[in-house]
Amino acid sequence: MNRSSSVLLVCLACGVIAVIGLGATGCSNWSTASRSGQQVITLWHQMTVGERKVLDQEVARFHASQSQIRVNTLYKETEELRSGFQAAALAGTGPELIFGPSDSLGAFVTMGVVQDMSPWFDQSRVAEFIPQGLTFLASPTEPERPVLVQIGDRVGNHLALVYNRDLISSPPATTDELVTLAVKTTIDRDHDGKTDQYGLVWNFVEPFFAVPFITGYGGWVFDESGDPVPALDSPACIAALEFLVSLQTEHHVLPANCDYETADALFKSGSAAMIINGDWSWGDYLSNPQMNVAIAPLPIVSATGKPMGPMVATKGYSLNVHARAEESAAAMEFVDFMTSAETQRNFMAKLKTLPSRKSLLDDPLLKEDPTLMASALQMNNGRAMPVVAELRAIWDSMRPHYQALLAGNVTPAEAARLMQADAVSTIARLNQDIQPNSTGLILKLVALILTVTLLWFQRGAWGQLAHDWNQNRLAYLLIAPSLAVIVLTIVYPFFYNVVLSFSNMSLRNFQNWQVTGWQNYQQIFTEQKFFVVLLKTVVWTVVCVFLHVVIGLLLAVALNAPLRGKSIYRVLLILPWAIPAYITALTWRGMFDYEYGAVNLIANQFFGLPPINWLSDATNAFIACIITNVWLGFPFMMVIALGGMQGIPRELYEAAKMDRVPRWKQFWYITLPMLKPVLLPAVTLGTIWTFNNLNVIWLVSNSGEPSDKTHILVSYVYKAVFNLYQYGYGAALSMVIFVLLLLFSLLFMWRTKATEGIH
Amino acid sequence: MAEAPKSRWIAATRHAVLMLFVLISVYPVINVFSVSLRPGNRLRSTDLAVIPADWTLDSYQKLFTEQPFLQWLGNSLLVSLAVTVLGVGLAATGGYALSRYRFVGRKASMLAILTTQMFPATMLLLPLYVMIAYLHLVNTFLGLLIFYTATALPFCLWQMKGFYDTIPISLEEAARMDGCSRWQTFVRVSLPLAVPGLVITALFSFMTAWSEYIVAAQVLQERDMFTLPLGLKSFQASMSTEWGLYAAASILVSIPVVIVFMLLSRYLVSGLNMGGVKE
Repeated sequence: MNRSSSVLLVCLACGVIAVIGLGATGCSNWSTASRSGQQVITLWHQMTVGERKVLDQEVARFHASQSQIRVNTLYKETEELRSGFQAAALAGTGPELIFGPSDSLGAFVTMGVVQDMSPWFDQSRVAEFIPQGLTFLASPTEPERPVLVQIGDRVGNHLALVYNRDLISSPPATTDELVTLAVKTTIDRDHDGKTDQYGLVWNFVEPFFAVPFITGYGGWVFDESGDPVPALDSPACIAALEFLVSLQTEHHVLPANCDYETADALFKSGSAAMIINGDWSWGDYLSNPQMNVAIAPLPIVSATGKPMGPMVATKGYSLNVHARAEESAAAMEFVDFMTSAETQRNFMAKLKTLPSRKSLLDDPLLKEDPTLMASALQMNNGRAMPVVAELRAIWDSMRPHYQALLAGNVTPAEAARLMQADAVSTIARLNQDIQPNSTGLILKLVALILTVTLLWFQRGAWGQLAHDWNQNRLAYLLIAPSLAVIVLTIVYPFFYNVVLSFSNMSLRNFQNWQVTGWQNYQQIFTEQKFFVVLLKTVVWTVVCVFLHVVIGLLLAVALNAPLRGKSIYRVLLILPWAIPAYITALTWRGMFDYEYGAVNLIANQFFGLPPINWLSDATNAFIACIITNVWLGFPFMMVIALGGMQGIPRELYEAAKMDRVPRWKQFWYITLPMLKPVLLPAVTLGTIWTFNNLNVIWLVSNSGEPSDKTHILVSYVYKAVFNLYQYGYGAALSMVIFVLLLLFSLLFMWRTKATEGIH
Repeated sequence: MAEAPKSRWIAATRHAVLMLFVLISVYPVINVFSVSLRPGNRLRSTDLAVIPADWTLDSYQKLFTEQPFLQWLGNSLLVSLAVTVLGVGLAATGGYALSRYRFVGRKASMLAILTTQMFPATMLLLPLYVMIAYLHLVNTFLGLLIFYTATALPFCLWQMKGFYDTIPISLEEAARMDGCSRWQTFVRVSLPLAVPGLVITALFSFMTAWSEYIVAAQVLQERDMFTLPLGLKSFQASMSTEWGLYAAASILVSIPVVIVFMLLSRYLVSGLNMGGVKE
């Protein structure tokens, strides 16, 4: 046996060992696995890195206080926690406890994935908490009986005014004072027409930041009926939006565009006198040694005399509906510990969170701390975040028009009207409850007939296969393991999706979904939006793949010669592929920033070009996404082309040289055709990957900004599924994507004969 | 006579093109590096300096002292290397079958392999999780190994098939004439000639496993079991991301990839021309 043969065998053997070895490691199946009689419970939480330190300390204290229960904490990002918890619920498992803001609770209760905690929570203890501390909601099955779905350990998550004391001596009490102060602190130092210091900044992307203005003018996101009916087209709301715009167009105290990170950077670098930001951010500002910062409640709106009131949310613990009795009991013991006065006080001392227990409100720790007092004052002006699934629809409907408003593309009255219209239709869609119709039965019949016919026509194939087995035995043995792995992982998800696409799985029918018919497909093809997004996806794919291949080939040709520093070039050129895309994509987003982004600065300094509004213009934002994706993808094509070029016999070029064939002709008639078998799979798969590339769009355009105009099909699916819980619709849309790509691949393979060799 | 200036001109063009793209490749990376050196958690800065005036290595220090970074690195290396070995082994053999044999269901298999890539990953999460739970693969590296291999294999198989296609069939015929069995022909003739393909396949498998986090987030349920991308993601929270840690970890995460590439790229220049095979 020669060397490469033994290498291959070693490879395969290692693979087998790895499979066995990895299977043996960490076979702990969720929390039920108990070591030495201990009950292990899992908590998914959304605490930031700073909060996690205190959490770990408290968990250690809990472990020291008793020996029966062990807690395994796991951080999950907001969306991950939500979708992961829902998926786990479908499989009948999941963490016993989740911790987070009350945002998702409305949906969780509707879906029936959280458990009533009142059996473990004595009625007499209710009085120990402030009213917002405990969340009772109507049970979806028995509307009269309230169920306890969250025990809060802190309230807040609210916005307040943070000001730089080096620039402002005392905070504004009214909006008139706010404007005066902001005008005074908006400065163009070098008189070049470009503002160097802004009076006020905040996040222009999330409508959460517009809420204090709306409440200050006497409005609210829902009407006062108690049902989640949107009230965004109210006079109060329009007045609030008019005020926002006046800050920008009349008083010129705001930047032209400003997302969360830009606002943060401006404030931290001393280029903004005031920032509106939430309690999660204050610690960062207060602990910064180079800054002299204080927190103040948001001012009173001069026109109405009402204080600007932010939304206030409770954070706390909820219990999984699938936790068994003994797990629930252990989990609740932990919740009791974590919501106790002592633990809450520790969190308050270290993180300046506001407690949910009444006894702590008079604690000297709170009374003597100016930040906590300002925070408490601000919270009293605030309004509790409604715990309903519909709130998500409100954010989704407000976001695009709020962004368009601050970009100067729409008037306040028009924005309010659009927000309201969108909110009404989005809520209707969220609560859509598709009933089975006759098409469901027809579909089942068609599926049955199709399967039977297929089996009937394929019956000959088995005989053929048996015959062929004798001839091509080695081929079957070589390909079988690969096919097995692929089939194992794809078959179940595929059929699951097919069934789901004909079902009504959604917020209202989450665990009790059923096959209803082709309503989801009907919905897709009757919407104009689908075709617009499809067109955009095609443009995106063609441009990206074309540039990937052209740049990749260009660089491979440049590299494919004896060249000084070749290996250094090679390594530096693969960096875009090597560094995780989720940070480089965000870096690119920063580089496209209007005022401080490197792209505009370089274009301006070296080529004298005027700054381009990359991210708040729909076309430019789409181009920005394409540029980022091209940057991420060209090294891959380069490496493939480089590898492929090694297989081209040198004699071909030598012969061409003898005949004095020009270089470009050599490339066109030798290199390209010889690269074809290597390049074709990369192009086919590259097209499929680009078509389905969610990350870049999501990160660079910040989930479809501006105003949901940069979506490609996958990001559109993602938004439908994860924001509106439309699992059935999302599955149907991904079936459409699947069929489109399948048709493309078939056509491409047939046209290029990619499955055939060149010899 | 005109040959020398002309080739010098060509070399200069090569360098110019390469330098331009090196600049474009490296600039955003330098940006990330710069974030990792900034104190006080600043993603964006109004200052364009690469090394900020108040630079600090705090983020790197925190990564090693306050976070189980080395544990994550170990996990990631274990999973990625296992995927690479398994992926290369399966693709080297399977790709050969697809290139050299005309068996029943060959075209169907090739298409079926591709179809795995055609679903938006986000829609697969739900059934994927349900399946992982039923197969008792929650919180195991085996679960990751299977899914990552399945993700990387389609490209690897097609790529290897493409590379075998470029090898003249006459070489194998000659070996068969000399009395080699089909397996021997494969191992002694075709495989050594397809080394650049194996390198690309290995690199791709490694990268697939190295940077994936969506599936990992579904499978792994303990902080000590995390792979690097998951650990990295845990620094990110909506509106309160630890940018310093995030950037520092990203820079460190890319170093093993660069090393793997440097080790493998030696073999990227091989195959037909090195073997001195004449048709």
